[in-house]
Amino acid sequence: MSIKRKLIALSLFTVLVVIISPWVDFAAAGSAEIQQMIIYELRIPRVLFAFTAGCGLALCGMVFQAMFRNPLATPFTLGVASGASLGAAISVYTGISFTILGLSATSLSAFAGALIAISFVYSISRFRFGFSGETLLLTGVAISFFFSSLILFIQYLSNVADSFQIIRWLMGSLTVVGYQELKQLLPFVTLTAVVIIYLSRELNLLMAGDEIATSRGVSVKYVRYALFFVTSLCVGAIVALCGPIGFVGMMVPHICRLIIGEDHRYLIPATLLFGGSFLVICDTLARLVIAPAELPVGVITTLLGGPFFLWLLMRYKSQH
Amino acid sequence: MLINAHDISVRMSDKTLIESISCDVVQGDYLCIVGPNGSGKSTFLKTLIAILPIHRGKLMIDGQPISQYRHKKLARLISYVPQSGGNHLTFTVDDYVRMARYSHHHVFSEWQAHDNEVVENALNITECQPFRYRKISTLSGGECQRVMIAAALAQDTPVLILDEPTAFLDPHHQVAVHQLIRELNQQHNKTIIEVTHDINHAAQHSKHVLALLDGKCLWHGPAEQFLDAERLQQLYQQAFVFAKHPHHDRLIAVADES
Repeated sequence: MSIKRKLIALSLFTVLVVIISPWVDFAAAGSAEIQQMIIYELRIPRVLFAFTAGCGLALCGMVFQAMFRNPLATPFTLGVASGASLGAAISVYTGISFTILGLSATSLSAFAGALIAISFVYSISRFRFGFSGETLLLTGVAISFFFSSLILFIQYLSNVADSFQIIRWLMGSLTVVGYQELKQLLPFVTLTAVVIIYLSRELNLLMAGDEIATSRGVSVKYVRYALFFVTSLCVGAIVALCGPIGFVGMMVPHICRLIIGEDHRYLIPATLLFGGSFLVICDTLARLVIAPAELPVGVITTLLGGPFFLWLLMRYKSQH
Repeated sequence: MLINAHDISVRMSDKTLIESISCDVVQGDYLCIVGPNGSGKSTFLKTLIAILPIHRGKLMIDGQPISQYRHKKLARLISYVPQSGGNHLTFTVDDYVRMARYSHHHVFSEWQAHDNEVVENALNITECQPFRYRKISTLSGGECQRVMIAAALAQDTPVLILDEPTAFLDPHHQVAVHQLIRELNQQHNKTIIEVTHDINHAAQHSKHVLALLDGKCLWHGPAEQFLDAERLQQLYQQAFVFAKHPHHDRLIAVADES
């Protein structure tokens, strides 16, 4: 099957997922008004929100995998999501609230946390060890642990109610009412997608290594800065709004690479489509597993992601 | 003067990698850089494509200091074939070679007939046509090396620099790659700068040789004067014996193992 056909098939799959998901487990009870409200105010915004978050998470994962040339490198394994979580937790704990350019304090501090974490990972791995796979991942693990323990510290300081909220939030959830969250998230994901599509040729050349990319005319440093900046912004926004939903950024782009190949001109649309529909499916599962109660979607993605990570690690080890 | 390096030094975290090297390369030149491992050969190449910044001295490319070049503009003058790498890529040969046209395009520009011509030509010269739709990761070492050269050719630059292009190849493929480089130099008038450990190749086929030792220039001169017992001893800490090549008068050097 040619790449274009695969993309068309994936698009159809995505459309089906998005159309069907709101109706899964929909009990036609109550008045027509209530039914309408459930569909239009709860289910549809939730599916759209999950789709957008999935697009963003998968895209950021794809960029990290390409930049570090390592399938295990994602915003989550490298501690960027923990940085964002810490930022968000601090803003929740201190209760500061302000908005700059329509961005809430939580989003901004999550973004700051993500940026700090990524600068850590980047400078440590770059200037001390070069971009070797193992050190990079170990740096990420160390930074994750460090930030996680700071989050625990904050939780310990907060009262029971706040603490419970932080825990639930850390599990990652896509429960929304209405379109408010979607409106907040959409600009970030759109911006990230536009920048990444704009840089798709550079991403392709980066796959061949920094030296080759430079010799072909890519300003590697500026491309990296731009990509780090937008991915931090995007991960920060997603973490602030839905909590750290792990492993989407690792599984989706890797599966897309296996199916579509490494050419980012096709990989980017595939990752967007599959990332979105994947998270919608996971969220639908989260609604179904212990219905009528719901699981946080982060539990589902992590349950799927853990074994996937191990499988990838085995594969990666045997290749190198 | 195409490349004009004057008294350049490169440092990396307090370590001096190359120190006050001066070297001129004119259009159509074929410069071989030789020297023991760690003598700064690759470092010198990397300064030419602005991967490494120079710490002191002046490096002019086509009459302009290298620091004033944007990477993209430099990539239209100089292309680079690295020592190794690329063999993990799952791009097809065709895609990879097309990607090398990056510096001639901006984000919205259309692929032109001229681009196709250059790519076809690069694949033809390097004889990559038989496997142009295969993934690079499935190729042999020799094929992979040809693809890397093809990509550099598709970049369509007056200067081509190569870092040990024959290091991992068997004798047959070594000869094939060297022939290809000579052809590019003589028939296509490309300026070649090549790092090599093959001193006989350097002496016989290049026009100038630059011998580096501990980051400094030991000798720089015409290739036919390069082979000299004392100089090789000093360069490699190894005695060499000489013999006449059976087909022509030039000397060939062989490491004396006794």
